[in-house]
Amino acid sequence: MKRNGTPSTNGKGVRLMMTLDGEKVAFTRGETIYEVAERHRKDIPTLCYDPRLEPFGGCRLCVVELEGARNPVASCTTEARPGMAVRTRTAALEVQRRILMEMVASENRDTDVDPMHGYASQEMAELLDRYDARTGRFEGARSGESRDDDDNPFIKRDYDNCISCYRCVRVCAEQEGDYAISIANRGFHTQITTEFGGLLKDSACTFCGQCIQTCPTGALGDLKALANRDVPGETKKTRTICPYCGVGCAVDVMTREEKIVGVLPAMDGPANEGSLCVKGQFAFDFVGHPERLSTPFLRDEKSGALRPASWDEALDFAAGKLRKVVKDHGRRAVYGIASGRAPHEAAYMMQRFIRAGLGTNHIDNCSRA
Amino acid sequence: MPTATNDQLLERWKDEPAPLLPLLHALHARDGHLSEEALRAVAKGLRIPIADLFGTVTFYHHFSREPDGLDRPRVCDGPVCSMRGAEVLMASLRAAGHGPQPMPCPGRCDQPIPVIHRGTVLTGRTASTLVSGPSPLPPAPPDGVEECVFAGIRRPGRATLEGYRHHGGYDALEQAVTAMTPGEVIDVIDASGLAGRGGAGFPTGRKWRAVAEAAGEPKTIVCNADEGEPGCFKDRVLMDHDPHGTIEGMALAAYATGAARGFIYLRYEYPETFDILEGAIAEAEAAGLLGDGILGTDFSFRLMVRRGAGAYICGEETSLLNSLEGKHPFPRNRPPFPVTHGYENLPTVVNNVETLASAPPILVHGADWYRGLGLGDHAGTKVISLSGDIARPGNYEVPLGLPLRELLHDWAGGPPPGRTVQAVTMAGLSGGFLAGADLGVTLDEPSIRSKDSFLGAGGIMVFDDSRDMIGVTREAMEFFAEESCGKCFPCRIGTQRLVERLEGKGPGTVDAWVDEVIDLNEVMKKTSACGLGQAAPLLTQSLIRYFPDRIRKHVAQGGGGPAPATKGRRR
Repeated sequence: MKRNGTPSTNGKGVRLMMTLDGEKVAFTRGETIYEVAERHRKDIPTLCYDPRLEPFGGCRLCVVELEGARNPVASCTTEARPGMAVRTRTAALEVQRRILMEMVASENRDTDVDPMHGYASQEMAELLDRYDARTGRFEGARSGESRDDDDNPFIKRDYDNCISCYRCVRVCAEQEGDYAISIANRGFHTQITTEFGGLLKDSACTFCGQCIQTCPTGALGDLKALANRDVPGETKKTRTICPYCGVGCAVDVMTREEKIVGVLPAMDGPANEGSLCVKGQFAFDFVGHPERLSTPFLRDEKSGALRPASWDEALDFAAGKLRKVVKDHGRRAVYGIASGRAPHEAAYMMQRFIRAGLGTNHIDNCSRA
Repeated sequence: MPTATNDQLLERWKDEPAPLLPLLHALHARDGHLSEEALRAVAKGLRIPIADLFGTVTFYHHFSREPDGLDRPRVCDGPVCSMRGAEVLMASLRAAGHGPQPMPCPGRCDQPIPVIHRGTVLTGRTASTLVSGPSPLPPAPPDGVEECVFAGIRRPGRATLEGYRHHGGYDALEQAVTAMTPGEVIDVIDASGLAGRGGAGFPTGRKWRAVAEAAGEPKTIVCNADEGEPGCFKDRVLMDHDPHGTIEGMALAAYATGAARGFIYLRYEYPETFDILEGAIAEAEAAGLLGDGILGTDFSFRLMVRRGAGAYICGEETSLLNSLEGKHPFPRNRPPFPVTHGYENLPTVVNNVETLASAPPILVHGADWYRGLGLGDHAGTKVISLSGDIARPGNYEVPLGLPLRELLHDWAGGPPPGRTVQAVTMAGLSGGFLAGADLGVTLDEPSIRSKDSFLGAGGIMVFDDSRDMIGVTREAMEFFAEESCGKCFPCRIGTQRLVERLEGKGPGTVDAWVDEVIDLNEVMKKTSACGLGQAAPLLTQSLIRYFPDRIRKHVAQGGGGPAPATKGRRR
C-alpha cells in the first residue's frame, strides 16, 4: 500500500514543488498527481482506483489538465514532477467526467444497489449524483453477463452491473495472490471469468470476499449480508478485531438492533489494510444461531448422557475436577485451549485464569492459523 | 513425424525468450484448437496462473477454443473487402460446408478477398477459385522518382541473401561495425530526419540514442510487424520480398544501441512471411551476419520471430510488449516509455518494419541523400498502401509532401471510369476521412493534421461516389469496437455506442443524435488511454463534417426509438 509521506527534497535540500490548481504544493518523489491532489482534498472522481492496488488508468475519470500536454492525463498513473502545473477541476474536465458517467450508467442494468452489497458498492451511484448523470443518454446494449448459476453461498456474481474496472481481478492478484479470476474477451465484451468460465468453487478462489468489497457498483455482492437486507433497524458499525486467528485484522461489524448483519473489512486496519479471509468476512452467523448452546451441560457419570445444568453447578464441577488434577499430577498437567469463536474478553480471561489462576503457561487458542 | 507431446513442446520452449506465444501456436497447430488440457499444461510449465492464461487466450481473435476451430476458414470482412463481395464469398464457403468466420483486415487489400485457412492465405472471390500465392510487388513509380526502401525490392532474388548482397546488402552493417562507433550510426540516422513510419512519427535517431544512453541490460530491439491497421499492407511486402532489409536494419539498431537480442513481432495473418523471415534469419546467421561475433567483431545480436494471434491493439507498442511477455495485452501506462522500460522492463527500441528497413540505405547513401528524397521541407519517403476504388491498388513509396491527388490520379490511375473520388481514409482507418476540398492535401503530417486527420502508417482507402458513407463508417467503427481492448472506459463503451448509432439506433432526432455522437467523439479523443480510442472517433467526426446531409437522412430513416437493451454485438 502506498502511503503519502512528508513531502521530500531532491536530495540537495530543495523541496520538490508543483503547481496544483494555481497553488504551489510540495510532493514526495514517486507520488502520483492523484495522491498529491488527494492530500490537498481535491476530491478527484475515480471508479477504477483502490489505494491498495497498483494504479490502473482505466476509468479515465481522474484525468487532469497538465500544462504542455495535448490531452488531459490520468492523474492516478502520472507521477508528479517538479515544475508541473496541473488543474484538477476545469469546466472542460467536469463536462468530460459527466459524459463518462453517463456512458458508464448506460451499460448497466441498475444504477443503484443496496449498500449491503459491499464496502465500495455506492461509489458509482454517488458519482452519478455528483455529476447529475442519470440522464438516460447513450442508451444501448448492456455489457456483462451475470452468473446466476454460481450457487456459492458467499459471493453474488451479478455482472450485468459490471463496469469492467477490474478492481476485483486486481485485488485478487495483487492483495490476495490467488489469481482466481481474470478478464475474458475484449472491448465491450470483456467479462470477469474464472479459469475456463467455471464456478468459483472450482477455481483458485478462497472466498476471502476482497473482490466484493472493492467493487464500486454492486456487481459483486456479499450474500451473507444481503440475506439480512430486510432485518429492521438502522445499521450500526462497531470497530473490533476479528477473533479467528492471531493476525488481528480490524473489522467493522454491522448490526441492526441486537443482530449481527454483516462484516466489513477496515481499510485502515493496521494489520490487514482491508484484507480479510473467508472466516473473518463471512463466518459470523454462529453468533445468533438457533442451535447454539445457551446453558451448560453436565455428563451423567453412569449413563454418559448430557443434561442441562445451572452455571453454579457446572462451574463447581469443573473447578473440583481441575483442583483434583493439579493436586494429583501438578499444575503443568492442565492445558487450556480457548475457542476462536469466543469474544476477545473471554479469551483474555481464559489465559489469565490458566496463567495466574493455575500457574502454568499451557494455554493456546484454536485459531493458531 | 510423431506428434509432439505437451512435455516435449514445453521442453522446447520453456527456456527460450518470450515462450508463451510460440508454445500456444505449436499446441494450436497440433490439436486444431487450444484445449483445456493443453492450457493447463502450459500454465503449469510456464508458471502462469491458469485463470490469467485462459483470459489472455480469449483476447486473441485467431486462437480457437472449439475443437477443429482452426479448420474454419477466416474471411476478411474489412471495408474494402466488403465492397468487393466478402459476403458472397462467405456464402459460397458456407454452401461448400466450410463454416467460415469473419476476420478483420489481414493486409491483402491489393488482391481479391483473402481467406486464412489452416495457416495459409488464399485469395479469391468464390470458394472454388481461392488460390495461394506470393504477395504482389509494389507497382513501379513514375519515371524519375527515387525510392528508399523499395529501391531494390523488384530485383529478382532479392529475398535471398545472395540476391540481397549482390546489390550492396549488408554493406551498411559491415561499414557500421568495422568503421563506425555506435554514436556515429545514431548521428547519421538523426541527421536524416527519419521518423517512425508505423504512424507515431517519433524521430528514430532520438529513440535509438535514448536506448543507447538508458541504464539496464540486456537491451532489446523489437520490430513491430503487427501491421493490423485495415488498409495497410506495406510491411508485408517489405518482409516478403526484401526480408534482409528489415533484418539488417534491426542489426544496425542493435549495434547503435548496444542491444543483444531482438524480436520481430509478426502479425498472425502473415503466415508465409513467418517462413520467409525464419529462412532469412537462418541464412544471415550462417553467414555470420547475425548471432555471436558478427562479421568477426565482438558485436553479437540474436534475432527471433514471434507471431501474434490476432489482436489489432498489439500493434500499440506497449500492448505488443505485454503480448511478447505473455501477459494480458492491455496497453501499459506511459510514462515510463519503452526506451527505458520496455521488454522485461529493460531499455527497448520498438520500431516499425519500414523504419528499420530505411536505416541501411540511409547509412550507405548518407543523411543528406535521404532528406533530399522528400519534397520541400519534408525529409524522406513514406510507403502508402492504396486500396479501394482505384485503378491500380498497391504500395507506393512517395516523397513526403506529394499532393494526394497526384498519387491517386497520376500514380494509381484514379477511380473507376465514370466515377469520382467521394472520400478517402487516412492512416488506414485511424485518420478518419478526407473529402471535398480537403483532398487537396499533400502527403505529410503537417498538411494532413491541419485537416484534423493524420498520415499515420500510410494506409489510404478510396471510396467513389457510389459508396454509402454511413455504411462505410459503420463497418470501420465495427472494426474499432471489435478491436477495443476493454481497458479504458471511453474506448470500450464509446466504440460500441458509435456503432449502434451508425446502425440506426440511438436518438431519433438529428440534433440529439449529433449531440450524442459529438460528445462521444470528444470524450474518446480527449480521455482514451491509447491511440485506438483517441483515433476511432475521427471517423464519426469527419462523417459529420463532410456528410451532414447523409446523416440527416440516416437518422430520419433508421434512427428513432431506443436501442434494444440486449447484449452487444458479437462477431
